Order: sequence, then structure tokens, then C-alpha cells
Amino acid sequence: MAATTESVRADAAEAPLLNKTNLIAGFMLYLVFYSFIRWYEGVYGWSAGLDSFAPEFETYWMNMLYIELVLEVIISAALWGYIWKSRDRKVMSITPREELRRHFTHWTWLVMYGWAIYWGASYFTEQDGTWHQTIVRDTDFTPSHIIEFYLSYPIYIITGVSAFLYAKTRLPTYNEGLHLMYLVAVIGPFMILPNVGLNEWGHTFWFMEELFVAPLHYGFVFFGWAALAIMGVVNTEVMAITKLLKKDLA
Amino acid sequence: MSASQSAVRSRAEAVAVSRTFDWMILFTLFTAVLGGYHIHYMLTGGDWDFWSDWKDRRLWVTVAPIVSITFPAAVQAMLWYRYRLPVGATICVLALLLGEWINRYMNFWGWTYFPVNFCFPSNLMPGAIVLDVILMLGGSMTLTAVVGGLAWGLLFYPGNWPIIAPLHVPVEYNGMMFTLADLQGYHYVRTGTPEYIRMVEKGTLRTFGKDVAPVSAFFSGFVSVIIYFLWHFFGKWFNKTDFISGENV
Repeated sequence: MAATTESVRADAAEAPLLNKTNLIAGFMLYLVFYSFIRWYEGVYGWSAGLDSFAPEFETYWMNMLYIELVLEVIISAALWGYIWKSRDRKVMSITPREELRRHFTHWTWLVMYGWAIYWGASYFTEQDGTWHQTIVRDTDFTPSHIIEFYLSYPIYIITGVSAFLYAKTRLPTYNEGLHLMYLVAVIGPFMILPNVGLNEWGHTFWFMEELFVAPLHYGFVFFGWAALAIMGVVNTEVMAITKLLKKDLA
Repeated sequence: MSASQSAVRSRAEAVAVSRTFDWMILFTLFTAVLGGYHIHYMLTGGDWDFWSDWKDRRLWVTVAPIVSITFPAAVQAMLWYRYRLPVGATICVLALLLGEWINRYMNFWGWTYFPVNFCFPSNLMPGAIVLDVILMLGGSMTLTAVVGGLAWGLLFYPGNWPIIAPLHVPVEYNGMMFTLADLQGYHYVRTGTPEYIRMVEKGTLRTFGKDVAPVSAFFSGFVSVIIYFLWHFFGKWFNKTDFISGENV
């Protein structure tokens, strides 16, 4: 009887399998932050973002670029460093329940990665199209680029690498080596950022107008395909979770 | 880890855990596919999809289905062959359309003030449903590629006809005759407006008059069959669960 009471108490004190607060807070963090960014674009895109030689462009857009670049370096170094430094060195000896809990935390990271990819690859990328159809570019650092290339892309890169590092350092499933499709799912979309170099180089030579289907943009397309590698990650996760639950679901 | 230990305390908890994972997986798959498919589609067929004055009877009808059958074929390769879920194409197109509609409203209209009846996205749903139904009934990738791929191309224009038809009626403006969609474009000047950029109604196929759209759709369906095959195999490759050693990286 005493042992049962102890057990119930231990259960009540135990951390939940899925930390819903983290999941909802993470989701809201991206949503609120990007809503603010969209508001900022709406106000300062038109009032200070049309002429890159104007002093207000420096104030509202170039300073934003410098601030976001510095913050991204600091946040990525701190986050990735923390995940790596706090890694579990005895990952193969955790209990099944702890493993299940970590899969939930891992999926919280993956949900954030998908959410960040949506904002970067869908929302802010197509938005760039309509901005450049409207305002002829006179700089590589247009308001839409400062948000799309140098904010939303680094954010999904930071999120994706964090998810990968979490899986690699805390889940037995990923202990046997490097998961090929996980690498593709993280490195492929990451490569969209270096491909910006090709894009800007080409626009500097050839295009002032906007033709979104121009071959110059196909590098983005190629690396965008890598998002499909999430399917390989899902398959591996389904197998791992099934292994943990199978006998209880039978 | 001990194999005899259980990760859950009861069957009810196992079921709840399983359902929660389903939702998290679905959200991640949906948003990742949305991002990848959207960036692919906007940069290979986007200009025809953005503006009604690009939605012509020839190149829009040809290009849009060819470049858009890619992700549906790849995701079908995952969801059908691994999980027997005949919804791969529908999920892809729903994701793409959601991303596009949010963008056209929030940004094309909300930021740069193009009216929505000028920048609405193309409708790909009929083709997606047919592609999934053929896979479900036939259970064959080859059948889906040949019949479904052809249907994907052929259904695109009819699927968009109720939307685009009112904008394809002729109007006379300053002594010139063109479509109502062209008139919209004339008034909403963009950096993609000049005729050396705008790729519409080019070539001798125009001399066939009313037959332009069916011929274009047929050709589009033919290429879609080939693209389906190719992307189905891409999809299978992306489904791998292999590990590699650090030395190979």
C-alpha cells in the first residue's frame, strides 16, 4: 500500500510526456514575432523603404539588418552550444518512458521547424515577389530581402539545426550514425541562404524587373525540394514510436 | 533501455500518445511540404499563377500542370506505399493553396494593393482529387502516372474555367481589342508588365483560335505523365530511413 502511494506520488510529480506549454509558447512566439514583422513592413516599407540612398532607409532598414544579423549569430551559438553541451552521454540507457518523452520534445522542435519553414519559404518568399513587382530594386538589401533572406531563412535554419542536434544528442534512435534524410531536410533548406549570393549576383547584372520564373531563381527551387526529406524523418520517427507503443496498442 | 519495460501506463495512454503524435506529424508534414512546394511552384510557374493577365490559353495551361505535379507525385509515393493513405496529392495541393491564398490576401492585396480578383491563385484541386482516386482504386504507380498524369494536365483548364472565363471576354480600349484580364494588367503596372517579359499567347498555335487551350492541355498532360514518373522516384528516395557514418560526411 505504501509502495503504491509512493508510486502515485512519483507519477504526479513526473514531468508530462508532452510539455504543451512549450509547444503553444513556441508556436505563438513565431506567430507574434512575424505578425510584428509584417506590421513593420507595412508601415516602414512604404515610408522608408523605397529609396536605398535615403537617410531614413539607413535608419529603418539597414539598422534592422545589422541588428538581426548580430542577434542571429548570438542566438544560434547559444542555442546550439547549449544543446550540445548539455547532451546525454548515456543516451542508450534511458527508460522507454523517458525516450517517449524525448520524442515528444523532439516533435515540438520539428513542429517549430515546419512552422518556421512555412513563414520563410512560403509567406515571406512569395511576398518578395509582389514587392519587386511593385518597386524597382536599387539595392540588394531591399526591405523584403532584409526580412525574407536575412531574417526568416536564418530563423528556420536555427530551428532546423536545433531539432537535428536535439535528436542526435538525446534520442537512441539517432545514435547509430547520421540520418541521411534528416541531414538533407536541414542542410538543403539551409543552402537556400548561400544561394542568395547567386541571386544577388545575377540581379546585379541582369534584372531590374521581376520575372519570378527566371532560371536565375532555380537554385532556390532545387534546394526547396530538400523539404521533402522530412518524409524520411517522419518514417524513422513512426518506426521508433511504434516500437515504443506497439505492445500497448495491440 | 529494457525491452520489458513499457513506455506508457495503460492502453488508453498509448492511444492518446499515438493520436497526439499523429497531429504533430501531420502539422509538420503539411507545413514543410507547403514551404517546399510553394517555393518550387512560385519560381517555376509563379508569374502565370500570380496575375490574371498571365493566365492565357497557351502557356499558363501548359506550364502550371507540368511544374505542379511534382510534389503530389513525391508525397503520394510516401503516403500510399508506406501508410496506404490515398491523400498525398490532395494534401499537397491544399497546403499550396492555403499558402498562396494567405499570401495573395495578406501581401499582394494587404501590402502592395493588387485586388484579389487580379492575383488569385490557380485551382489545382480537381486534378489532385482525381490523382488520389486513381491511385486508391488502381493501387498502381504506372496507372496513376499515365491516366492520372494525363488527367492532371487535361483537367487544369476546365477546373479554372469558371474563374477565368469572365476575365477572358474581349474588350475594346483605345482602339485596341484585348481581354478584360489584359485590361486589369494595363491598369496595374508591374515590373513584369513589359511584353518582352510577359510570356502569353506567343507562337503560331494562336492561329488555331479556339483549339489553343485543348491542344496545350493535351501536351501538358503528356509531359505531366513523365514528370509524375520522375517525381515518384524522387519521392521514394526522400522516403529513405538510412543512416550514414560520420566519416562519409
